[in-house]
Amino acid sequence: MFCSRPGWSHVRLRRGVLSMLKSKTFVKKTRAGGVMKVVREHYLRDDIWCGSEVCTECKDGAPVLQQDARVESDLCAYPHYLIPDTNVVLHQIDILEDPLIRNVIILQTVLQEVRHRSPPVYKRIKDATHEKEKHFYTFTNEHHRQTFIEREQGESINDRNDRAIRVAAKWYTEHLNKAPSVGELKVVLLTNDRANRDKAEQNGLLAYRCEEYIKSLTGNPELVDRLALTSDDQNEITGSKLLFPEHLPLSRIQAGIKSGTFLQGTFRASRDNYLEATVFVQREGDDSTEVLLQGLQNLNRAVHQDVVAVELFPKEQWVAPSSVVLQDDRPSDKETEEEESPVLDPSRLKPTGRVVGIIKRNWRPFCGMLNQSQIKEATRHLFTPADRRIPRIRIETRQASTLVGQRIIVAIDGWPRNSRYPNGHFVRNLGGAGDKDTETEVLLLEHDVPHQPFSQAVLSFLPKMPWGITEEDLKVRADLRHLCVCSVDPPGCTDIDDALHCRELENGNLEVGVHIADVSHFIRPGNALDQEAASRGTTVYLCGKRIDMVPELLSSNLCSLRSNVERLAFSCIWEMNHKAEILNTRFTKSIINSKASLTYAEAQMRIDDASMNDDITKSLRGLNTLAKILKGQRIAKGALTLSSPEVRFHMDSETHDPIDLQTKELKDTNSMVEEFMLLANISVAQKIYEEFSECALLRKHPAPPPSNYDILIKAAKSRELEIRIDSAKALADSLNEAVLEDFPYFNTLLRILATRCMMQAVYFCSGMDSDFHHYGLASPIYTHFTSPIRRYSDIIVHRLLAVAINADSTYPDLMDKHKQSSLCNNLNYRHKMAQYAQRASVAFHTQLFFKNKGILNEEGFILFVRKNAIIILIPKFGLEGTVFFENNDKPGPRLNFDSEGPTLTVEDQHTFHIFDRVKVTISLDASNIQHQKIRMALVEPVAPFFQIPGVSVALPEPEPEAKKLKLDR
Amino acid sequence: MATVQVSEAEKVYVMHGVRDDLRVDGRGCEDYRHMEIETDVVSNTDGSAKVSLGHTDILVGIKAEIGKPRPMVPDEGYLEFFVDCSANATPEFEGRGGEELGVELSNTLYKVFNNRHSLDLRSLCICPGEHCWVLYVDVLLLQCDGNLFDAMSIAIKAALFNTRIPKVHISEDEEGVKEIELSDDPYDCMRLNVENVPCIVTLCKIAHRHVVDATLQEKACSVASLLISVTHKGMVTCVRKLGRGSLDPDSIFEMTETGKRVGKALHAPLMELLQKEESLGKKRQKVGFLA
Repeated sequence: MFCSRPGWSHVRLRRGVLSMLKSKTFVKKTRAGGVMKVVREHYLRDDIWCGSEVCTECKDGAPVLQQDARVESDLCAYPHYLIPDTNVVLHQIDILEDPLIRNVIILQTVLQEVRHRSPPVYKRIKDATHEKEKHFYTFTNEHHRQTFIEREQGESINDRNDRAIRVAAKWYTEHLNKAPSVGELKVVLLTNDRANRDKAEQNGLLAYRCEEYIKSLTGNPELVDRLALTSDDQNEITGSKLLFPEHLPLSRIQAGIKSGTFLQGTFRASRDNYLEATVFVQREGDDSTEVLLQGLQNLNRAVHQDVVAVELFPKEQWVAPSSVVLQDDRPSDKETEEEESPVLDPSRLKPTGRVVGIIKRNWRPFCGMLNQSQIKEATRHLFTPADRRIPRIRIETRQASTLVGQRIIVAIDGWPRNSRYPNGHFVRNLGGAGDKDTETEVLLLEHDVPHQPFSQAVLSFLPKMPWGITEEDLKVRADLRHLCVCSVDPPGCTDIDDALHCRELENGNLEVGVHIADVSHFIRPGNALDQEAASRGTTVYLCGKRIDMVPELLSSNLCSLRSNVERLAFSCIWEMNHKAEILNTRFTKSIINSKASLTYAEAQMRIDDASMNDDITKSLRGLNTLAKILKGQRIAKGALTLSSPEVRFHMDSETHDPIDLQTKELKDTNSMVEEFMLLANISVAQKIYEEFSECALLRKHPAPPPSNYDILIKAAKSRELEIRIDSAKALADSLNEAVLEDFPYFNTLLRILATRCMMQAVYFCSGMDSDFHHYGLASPIYTHFTSPIRRYSDIIVHRLLAVAINADSTYPDLMDKHKQSSLCNNLNYRHKMAQYAQRASVAFHTQLFFKNKGILNEEGFILFVRKNAIIILIPKFGLEGTVFFENNDKPGPRLNFDSEGPTLTVEDQHTFHIFDRVKVTISLDASNIQHQKIRMALVEPVAPFFQIPGVSVALPEPEPEAKKLKLDR
Repeated sequence: MATVQVSEAEKVYVMHGVRDDLRVDGRGCEDYRHMEIETDVVSNTDGSAKVSLGHTDILVGIKAEIGKPRPMVPDEGYLEFFVDCSANATPEFEGRGGEELGVELSNTLYKVFNNRHSLDLRSLCICPGEHCWVLYVDVLLLQCDGNLFDAMSIAIKAALFNTRIPKVHISEDEEGVKEIELSDDPYDCMRLNVENVPCIVTLCKIAHRHVVDATLQEKACSVASLLISVTHKGMVTCVRKLGRGSLDPDSIFEMTETGKRVGKALHAPLMELLQKEESLGKKRQKVGFLA
């Protein structure tokens, strides 16, 4: 019933340190509406070091804070340590992260408050403290006997924390003064709270406002731009006219949502019209609605992706989405806004409403470019984000002239009611627009691909070099070093995660082994390395750049199954007969020594070269024969062979500019490796599902709804061919039969179309779903096991399999289906974003390529026919573009669209059919530097009305809703 | 309950002593044993007190929780009692041994304390008919050395005095949905008025006289005792006869009068002591019950 505890007591800990116990008491509301008193034990100690090199009293072995903590400053000419308060850390984290700011004491009080208020900032400040060069020191003042304070009667928690910060600053000042070599060293408190600053000065502390301090740093004036605007400054910037209705407080919003007067949803700004947005309201079950918002007042300062509360208008006020394209690109900074009259078409009316409050801001730093103010020497400028859905942001900078033409990052600080645009501050300059490195950085940022260098905390979990196989490893692993294992990969591959072998057994059967890098041996569950990998989810391959999921030491060295080195592996070994029937499957952790790392071409040459008869070649031939049988079996079961126009760039070895493009070609050996990987994945999926029916991580590919195939069926019909879609098998067979003698590329085009009809394959947790089928592979169960270096899903599968064969121990999160399910969601998201980033990278490199090439004439095929445009695929470049027959300003030619064909007849002269062969000119349209485009114009069939200037938008930027869903295996 | 075996000769000795107003331990018939009181001994309760009376040791903890008012009295809160007989007190309480006694004791406490005369139950109301404070009074018997009721009542009164209930207020939005809001200042809390909280005086009939604060030995010599709860004004709020024997009306009257007198005398120094302890504030050296 009670637990006994003395009120005050002294406890002697080991090392002879005296600790004092206090209890911290607070009351909190429980979820059921009750009130609970919570008491926590809190120990105070004397052995918390100040962390300064100057101090002789503290027995700190490796002090963090430097003796000569000097920064060029008007205000503090003496060496000093900074103590920022919570709000300074929260709002000015961009400043604190600057390499110039060093020797900062982060108090525990501050850290706890930051953690409570903003987890992302907390992570950033933690990362900063881990960096050795920053000399950031975390002082646990709440556990230090002299700096701990109790909350007093009538004192609010904020006042108490401010006091704790002052007490700690005071303690530092006095403590350092005792040191013999203190010199001029001082402690400076940074706070923007006037009351706090006054009190600090009364206590004899040095306290400055953050702006004041930063502005005093004479050596680095550019830091001032990165200051976040605080409420004090905002008043100066804009007039006092209130432009927006007030946001309701959170309590009112919550009550309103409970009672149903407000709806909660995610704000999605329109890409085409800055005065329009929708709010996606997810209700229980699948019942979700979209609420339309129109006009700045009703959008009420919501930014794309914010979680907002909306109020619905009565039905009379509902409007239809406008079909006008409106871009907010007027150069002036006027505060007035003419609203367009809403379109009133009763059939298209949609639920309409207005934003009454913001539940959660989802602001991130945005990439974009600066519009320099027309007034010379102005310091306030507008910033246009690359993402059209984000409003322009007002920033203050004195280096506008240098930032023009550069890609920069800007963070939003706030959006006051009296300001037309949100206020923000400059964070970082990425480099010149159009520059390859800059654009790559931009597309990584815009696709939310984590690409920062790995933090010290993550790197600390890497194995120590030199690394070697130990006696213990030998004891618990199967020694397969004698086997003739080899790997086959694309040229230049450094992260080799699979290797194969095949040999004849004494009983005449074949033993086939797939050996996968044992990444889970190096990445232990729950540590920083694991968390980082789980968050990244996948390695992202861009043109000429790879963003690793795990640090390079693992990805390209310890886990890479290179030839002639001993490596740890997770092996899947089958005994097969010559008909490729599996007689026996075995999984084991192993040690292998690959005999050769081959490229696909090299492997193919060895197989084809009859004069070669060494072990590796024999092994390859065995594998190849079996793979062909396996593939035959798989196709007989209805697996689909689809295609997508993939291109590879030939890069100039010095400038890394693309000099030539080439569509990927597939060799026998590609499919040989793929066949065994599929087999291993399926075998492992069966094993882990058998063992853990509730928490196996699997991959499924749902069958698409029949309506998806409409376009494919119509396309085939136009050439008097029939596509059957009643099963995957029927589809595969009918695709195989759909061949035209005089049109060899026809079948590929059909397959490209078929790919677009497919659904996205996803990871899921077996306990949370009942449909496991993989449609594309025609397999009842499937998972990812074969690429743990570049996919986190495979690491989880490795862990599950290791537990299943008693090679490793389990941990709670692995067996928690809800945790696994949320992990799957993250992995699916990362995979999707990685694909978009990849496509964006290809698109950008295509642009570079065409920039260097000038204007080209190429042959292409019509892939889709739309109401006012045709989409053309150029097989040579794998390039897709749109030719419009309409223009917003000018009356277009007379168009006749028949959705049955589908065909488009222009001016009754020429009818375009799907798959028609056309000729186009390709050129780069660099008129908008942020959104460069490939321009396509028809050359053949030629007609005067086709030559409408500026009609084409090609190579669409990767849109999240892009229909190009590649079948990802 | 914990009992001691007493021989006939001992009984005669005790009875003769009581007759002469001289008890075995030297006290007079209306004297209490040495008493120690400390409040705020259990930090995770809202109010607590520890009382030792001779070797009887009682710990009381009070937890305030939000509950629904009883339908008959929608504008009042209420108290719940639970008495736990720790096996530390006597081996008889081991397992479920102390359960019966615990229930009996808590029923008596319920009668004595849970009424609007002893405590202003209306002050425990948060929102009539919907929310009220329920005070869970947990009594732990750490050691039994007779006179449990008196010691318990004093401990409960001290704990109620020590109780601090966080202040809440009900906010109502335009739809009439009520929400409980909690003050975020831990010092912002409600105190209870314990002025009228009664103390129990148990009188033990020994031979023709009666004694207060009987030891176990004296108890063994008595056939019946009378439990009287008295407020600081000398008002009797509850009378209960305990034990198997019978009492004649005359002695009941006599015992009631003694109870009133003793009870009245008990309240004043108790309140004074509690006030004094509180005035020490944080400077007070806490002893706790391990001391």
